[in-house]
Amino acid sequence: MEKTELERQLLHMILGLLALAILLVFGRGILTGMMFFIVIIGLLLVNLTYLGKKTGIVELFVRRFERTNVPFPGWGSACYATGVLLVASFLTDPNVIAASIIILAIGDGIATLAGKAGRIRLPYNRKKTLEGTVAFFIASLPGYFFVGDIIIPIALIAAVVESLDLPLDDNVTIPVAITAVFLVIL
Amino acid sequence: MDPITEFAFNLNNGLLTYASLIINNDLIFLLIITALVLLIEKRDGKRAKIFSAIILSAVFVVLIKSFMMAERPCVSLGLEYCPESYSFPSMHATIAFTMMISFINKKSYWIFMIFALFVAFTRMVLAVHSFIDIAGALPVALITYYIIDVVGRSLYGKNRA
Repeated sequence: MEKTELERQLLHMILGLLALAILLVFGRGILTGMMFFIVIIGLLLVNLTYLGKKTGIVELFVRRFERTNVPFPGWGSACYATGVLLVASFLTDPNVIAASIIILAIGDGIATLAGKAGRIRLPYNRKKTLEGTVAFFIASLPGYFFVGDIIIPIALIAAVVESLDLPLDDNVTIPVAITAVFLVIL
Repeated sequence: MDPITEFAFNLNNGLLTYASLIINNDLIFLLIITALVLLIEKRDGKRAKIFSAIILSAVFVVLIKSFMMAERPCVSLGLEYCPESYSFPSMHATIAFTMMISFINKKSYWIFMIFALFVAFTRMVLAVHSFIDIAGALPVALITYYIIDVVGRSLYGKNRA
């Protein structure tokens, strides 16, 4: 596994845990406000990058942590921030938001690392591995401490959505799926 | 009411309230959006993409509003201009954000960003929306534009943005 991918996923998980800490300490309102302005500023930086302007440390950050085959520079970070903003604004219960952030941060991060090292290809999506999908499910289970048993079906659905070969990026489909399922179930 | 909405609602600036009431009119708002897109974007294909994204985002907002059934802040305040529809997420903000994202790769992006943030702010000035309705509008707009972009590329094989 390339070192950059490991660094990328570690950063992914650390930022998720930071968002979780902000939620638990300051509440849903502060997290939503912060994520809203982060997305707005992030989009402005994406625009500046499009126009060929120097964005300093952000440019270095994107070069170091972003994948190369993405729609625009900063794509991964933009999707992640949008996903957290989606769950924080749509879901009202802080415990449900916390469980969702765990799935987005830990589940998705561990799944990518385990998936890269995995060998058993999924029959319906040869780009993903069984190890990655199982890791996603298991790594999402700490959400139990916030929402109880309901985390099992949610983690299962999120893991299945992550494993599908959809035309949309899973950084977008996973938060949408989690939000939709939580809204329907609760 | 959250602190941001409360701040906006308590500004009591006559000009701002007047501008907010103008934007509150659905027909005027749609005319402004249409005029901005037609004036700044000259390519027919991109115009079609922007209007498709705006229409799809409006459909999503209607569906989400009917599902979430959130009450507007102005209901409890008893304001006469308070719309009867539900609050979350803001339709005006979603449309303005969708238009903003459509111009992410253009020099004119900052104009659309300021416009979208202003529209979002006016919704809180009138207390027809709270900040959470505005925050919820942003991911809806981003995801909708992304869907239209993916569909557009699969149909026509065009570049992104």
